[in-house]
This record gives sequence, C-alpha cells and structure tokens, in this order.
Amino acid sequence: MEFLSRTQLITALAAVALALYVLDLVRRRRLSEEYSFLWVAASVLIAVLGFSTPVLKAITRALGIMYEGSTVFFFGLAFATVMLLHVSIKLSRLGQENHALTRELALVRFDLERLRSGGGDAGPRNDGGGAA
Amino acid sequence: MSTGRVLVIVPAHNEEESLPVTLDELARKAPDFDVLVVDDGSRDGTAEVARARGIPVISHAVNLGVGGALQTGFRWAVRSGYAIGVQLDADGQHDPGFLPVLLAPVLSGACDVSIGSRYVSRSGYRAPLARRMGMLLFSTVFRVAVGQRITDTTSGYRAYDRAVMEVCQHEFPKDFPDAPLLIDLARRGFRLTEVPVEMRAREAGRSFYTLGKSLYYPYKNLLASLMVLLKRPG
Repeated sequence: MEFLSRTQLITALAAVALALYVLDLVRRRRLSEEYSFLWVAASVLIAVLGFSTPVLKAITRALGIMYEGSTVFFFGLAFATVMLLHVSIKLSRLGQENHALTRELALVRFDLERLRSGGGDAGPRNDGGGAA
Repeated sequence: MSTGRVLVIVPAHNEEESLPVTLDELARKAPDFDVLVVDDGSRDGTAEVARARGIPVISHAVNLGVGGALQTGFRWAVRSGYAIGVQLDADGQHDPGFLPVLLAPVLSGACDVSIGSRYVSRSGYRAPLARRMGMLLFSTVFRVAVGQRITDTTSGYRAYDRAVMEVCQHEFPKDFPDAPLLIDLARRGFRLTEVPVEMRAREAGRSFYTLGKSLYYPYKNLLASLMVLLKRPG
C-alpha cells in the first residue's frame, strides 16, 4: 500500500480508531444507533480516502482540488457541518418537547394537589370575593 | 361590567418580594377578578406567597421564561372556561386599576388583543434612551410587517380573548413574547389594539430583561420577527 504522505496514514488510522470508538459507544449503550450510522459512514469514508491512494487521487481530480489532503478536509468539514445542523435540529425538538412536558407536568400537578385537598370546584377564586 | 370570565395570569419567577404587593393590590383594586399565578421555576417562596392568599398557583419544575408561563396560563384559562386572559407582571409595574381600560376593547369585541401601552399618551413614563430606540425599532418592524402602529411592543400588560388563548396554548413563539408574538398574532388575523396605561418602576427583585441581555435582546427579537414572517401562517 502506497501512501502519499504521513498525514494520509495518520488520517486513515484515526478514521479507523473513530469507527471502533463509535461502535464501542453503541455497544455500551452510550450512543444511540441512529447517531452511530452517521458517524460510522463518515469514518469509513475518511478511512477509504486514507487507505486507497487511487480513490483519493481520483476524487481529488474529479472535484478539481489541487491537493489530496484538502479532499480529506473537505469531506471531514462537510460531515461536521451536516452533523452539527442535525444536532441543532434534534436539540430544538428536544427543547420543544421538554417545554411542553414541563407545562403539562405543572398542570397535572396542580390538578393532583386540588384533588388531594378535596376541592373539586371548577375555577380559581381570588380571596377578594366571588365572581359576577 | 361582568368580570367572572376574566382570568388575570401573573407569571412569576423568583418574585417573593414583589408578588405580595402585586397580589394585595389586585385584591384591593380588582376584587372581582380571578387570579392565577404561574410560578415559573422559582427557587424562592413565590408559590407560597400566592398560596397563603388562597390564589391558585401552577408551578413549573424548571424556568421556561415569560412565554412558557403565559402559555401554561392560557391553557388553564381555556380549560377552565375563561373568555379573557390578562397578562400582568408580578413585579408591580402594572397597576390593576387600569384593568377596566385594558379589558374594555376586548370585552366589547373591538379587538382580540389589547396592549397596555406606556407611549400612547403622555403618561409621565420616560424610558431611557436605549429603551426608546429599541421601542422605535420594534414599532417600525411591526408597522412594516403588519401595517399597523403599535408603539409599545415590549409591554407585558395585555388582555387576550379566548380565540387567541386557544391558539396560543399550543402554538406560540414562546421565547419571544414581545414583537415576534404580536406580529405572529396579527398574521393569524387577530386584531390588536393599544390602550394608554401608566406603568411604575419595579417593586423589587430582578426583571426578566436584565441589563446583560440589552444588546442580545434587539438582535434576537429582530431576527425572530423576520422568522415569524418566513413561517407559514397557521
């Protein structure tokens, strides 16, 4: 196997290490499968670029990139961007769900306290007096 | 004026110092109104202050912000059959004496949302320059977006009719209860009106809008206003 530079070899090995680490995280249930697919796909792609010089050169030429190292960076950065956006979307949804749950829990707790205290009456009352 | 179907919603976050004053003033000046305190994840005795006065309290386990507290209030108001919900700050800025003024246009059906404004008349309220510039900015944003003039977009003294509360209990720009919310409501076809009220300085405690947020506030609200325009109405 012929490597263009030491950087290429390091990149390839790092990608393999990353893939193994991701799999281990899934095995230990620290990372859900859904996320692992993206990470595994990305690390396999980087590993292929690192280990197979002909593939790396072909893609670099096809994309019109001058230097092979940039191709690896290009894919790495593209993946990081997509992943960050993906996480932001997930976070937004998680935030909305969390928000809704907090409000729902507050209302349920209010009902529960009211039931416990034996008051089943409909509306709230200001201590100032009855409503019209 | 029949007030039995009006619920005064008081969002409160760590307001144990000013809430007693606000609630006592409500009991004195507006004894016929039902009151609900939404304790928004307070770490102090906010909930106890209200409970001690026999006022129902709904407590969030964590702090959600004014928008979230308001949303909980709306949901409960709709569930309990109220026709109108009034948002009144816990910090004592809003004088319950103006409730009839604020409610009048909503009760008469002239509008869906009534906003108590510091700027409509010469009320003696003189905001700091930065605040007035912000007010002008968002007033302009609102006018460009909706084609209507609302001078006090940051006023937290508002009355909402049932139709608005029904929509807002589910769909709500919860993190932006000022200009973006008003634009959102106007785009949904709700009619907004401003009425002149006087506001006072805070009783105690910290405002929801702290000084540190003074630069971030216009930025995020401007962006959120534009985002509201981008979103499909519905």
